[in-house]
Amino acid sequence: MGSWMKMIKELTIRPKGKRQIRKSPAYSFDEDLKKPLSGQTVKEILSKSSDVVFREFFLQGKDRIPCMLVAVDGLVDKNLLDEFILKPLMVDFAGHPELAQMTLSNVIDKTMESLLPGIEIKKISKMGDAIDTILSGDSVIFFGNLTEAIVIGARGWAHRGVAEPITESIVKGPREGFSETLRINTSLLRRKIKHPSLRIISLKLGDMTNTDLVVTYIEKIASPDIVSEVFKRLSKIKMDAMLGNGYIEEMIEDNPYSPFPQISFTERPDVLAGKLLEGKVGIIVDGTPIVLVVPAILTQFLNVNEDYYQRAMVAILSRFVRYVGAFVAIVAPSVYIAVTTFHQEIIPTDLFMSISAGRQGVPFPALLEAFTMTVVLEILQEAGLRLPKPIGQTIGIVGALIIGDAAVTAGLVSPLMVIIIGLTAVASYAIPTFDLSLAVRLIRFPLMILAGVLGFFGVTVGLYVILIHLLGLRSFGVPYTSPIAPLRIRALLQDTFVRAPWWALKRRPQLMDVEDPRPNGKG
Amino acid sequence: MGTTFLPVASIVTGVGGRDGWMSVLPGFAVGIPYCLMILSLSEQYPRKNLLQISAAVFGKWIGNFIGLIYILIVAYLGGLLLGQVGDIYQASIMPLTPLWVFFLGGIFLVLFLIKSGIEVFARFSEVVFPLIVFALLLNVGLSIPRIEQGELLPILSEGFKPLFLGAIKVIPFVMTYMLFLAGVIAFLPTGKQELSQLKKGVWRIIFLVGILDALVVLIQLLVFGPAETIRLVYGLLVLGKLVEVSRTVAGVESLFLGVWLSAAIIKIGSLFFSVIWGLESVFGLKGVKWRHAIAVVFLGISFRFIRGPALITEIGLVDEYLTMPFVALWIPILWGVSRWKRGAGN
Repeated sequence: MGSWMKMIKELTIRPKGKRQIRKSPAYSFDEDLKKPLSGQTVKEILSKSSDVVFREFFLQGKDRIPCMLVAVDGLVDKNLLDEFILKPLMVDFAGHPELAQMTLSNVIDKTMESLLPGIEIKKISKMGDAIDTILSGDSVIFFGNLTEAIVIGARGWAHRGVAEPITESIVKGPREGFSETLRINTSLLRRKIKHPSLRIISLKLGDMTNTDLVVTYIEKIASPDIVSEVFKRLSKIKMDAMLGNGYIEEMIEDNPYSPFPQISFTERPDVLAGKLLEGKVGIIVDGTPIVLVVPAILTQFLNVNEDYYQRAMVAILSRFVRYVGAFVAIVAPSVYIAVTTFHQEIIPTDLFMSISAGRQGVPFPALLEAFTMTVVLEILQEAGLRLPKPIGQTIGIVGALIIGDAAVTAGLVSPLMVIIIGLTAVASYAIPTFDLSLAVRLIRFPLMILAGVLGFFGVTVGLYVILIHLLGLRSFGVPYTSPIAPLRIRALLQDTFVRAPWWALKRRPQLMDVEDPRPNGKG
Repeated sequence: MGTTFLPVASIVTGVGGRDGWMSVLPGFAVGIPYCLMILSLSEQYPRKNLLQISAAVFGKWIGNFIGLIYILIVAYLGGLLLGQVGDIYQASIMPLTPLWVFFLGGIFLVLFLIKSGIEVFARFSEVVFPLIVFALLLNVGLSIPRIEQGELLPILSEGFKPLFLGAIKVIPFVMTYMLFLAGVIAFLPTGKQELSQLKKGVWRIIFLVGILDALVVLIQLLVFGPAETIRLVYGLLVLGKLVEVSRTVAGVESLFLGVWLSAAIIKIGSLFFSVIWGLESVFGLKGVKWRHAIAVVFLGISFRFIRGPALITEIGLVDEYLTMPFVALWIPILWGVSRWKRGAGN
């Protein structure tokens, strides 16, 4: 009994002040990694995996040097290895004067200097580096029993091409989006910002997955404090697996218990470039087309990249619609409940009579009616989200038209309630960011309960609690509600509720402290 | 500006009649020299609140005695204002809801705001202030069709005496702000540039609030006439009830009360902070349990005065006979003695 209790305690109690990460039973190559580098040991470690290829051959120099090329099938470009690595070494350079001088002691230097034509070639001397590079897709050549080896960058695997992102589609603007391959993503970014101050710093995370990621920022613009904070938080992550950006997001955000997203994401190189030029920092994880951008502020979740491709007046109108939509999506059901339950005086008599007639025969109170309909809406959204597109549309039609109409005809809900819920759904689609939309969906429910119990007083208390919570949030040290509070008038007028014309955007938005506030170094 | 704009019309018209609206701005302007004195003390004693400065200038015993009076006044006033939240909601839009619901809702918001810290408190005020101004202007603007110009005339028929009497009634409101400023100065920047900005801010905000409150009194006077304005303690809410926009939205008082609640929370929160700082400075008491104790005290006071007229009378008495004399004497004497000591030291 005691041991059971102890086990339950160990599983449930979280040590104070520490973020606990449950790891799988330790399985490491620590002992092997301590051994000196040699082709034979590498073969012992990796030979149980059928996808690892060991190609053994000889270089005929002054001595006959045994060589072994190790690579992972499917992660390397075989043509490149055959044509530019193996063929030159084994066939083309046979009888070459350099090769004739070659002995086991100078083989690595001579090969790198004179024989191998590739760009990405380097020397390694640690077992850990060898294993990592092989499993990451590079090829390694071992020579005899030497404790050094040559790494050849010949990565090449099947990957999705550059396609238009589904979650950030636009009418007027570039169509390219990030893919799952890290290097393609960095190249897309580099094509946008051809400046030496663009920094792309590589890291690895995940003890087992060894996932590659890069932190990118513009050195002359991004605040050094924010950059160092990003590295600090990333360095604290200790996990077995890092299979996507979501893992990092939860580990580095400021307040993990808040429903509001504190890290933004994008699938578009142009958006990432724009954010970096504002002084933000991007985190690109290999294996996912979604790039994390920090710090994030609330208002940016309501702005979309198309705002910058449309004319200013059109962008202002679009933003206004989105802000109104977000507000309606949050408060519409709760206001309906408060008005019909407590504050009928706010509605003129004629309108009230009309609403009252619509509710005739509805057996439920407004709170239960709205709550049920909102839950149904959530179910429909959840059901439609992950189904194949044609079926998803059918679910929408069945849910919205057939169930809604049947519920009104059966007298279970009032027609106005259906309109309110429909309006709420449409308004929440006006929120361009999925993460913020989820937060809005979440906070709608407590507001509805408060409205049903305490009327406008409850709604007001709920909204102020949300406001105070938002005002206290920070993303990497930057106040989440900036530039509204703390008030930064220029940022507010330039690129928050409105988007000033490009010719008026003389300085960076100054949502945070940036190194160089001028957009083009002149201002 | 806190909760001033609801009762101000009734109060100044009560003593100043139809000319009472003109006394609001001069009444608020009295706050300017007090603010400047506090900022000057802050310059001399950076990162200290007025209670700590008092202890430094007058000695520990007198300083602690002043601190004790300060704590009693701000705690009592805070509790009364919390009571006003329940009183106004129940009297105007939710007569069937028990008072304790509003008290608990109010104190919950205040505690949440206090827990979030002074920075969030400042940001909350920053966000809410434009909303209050907008709501006031909307309420005033929508009432314009009901104006009867004759209510304002004759102007100054009884000379300048009503203005003086009205201003005397407004001064306690300003003195309440000084109580908060006395505590918050420890958190304000003390650089020369920042202090100069703060001084400019004081002028701006006092004139802005004074003009808005004068406008609120004026519109009530023009719509209701002097007699009704005096009788209606929360006349602005009655104005909201009269509003009708294109036969779609009829009474905006419930919406207006939502905005007023934020103002009330700021004012109660500022008094709550003042109690915290007072307890810290005088008795060295700090921590979450003392915050909860203060909340219990606030709730206790708010439950004690549950009826509208009694509550309003009590707030008026505290303002006139405790807050005003205390602040009116404390700050100038402290400023004068500190300057004298500095002069003598040189």
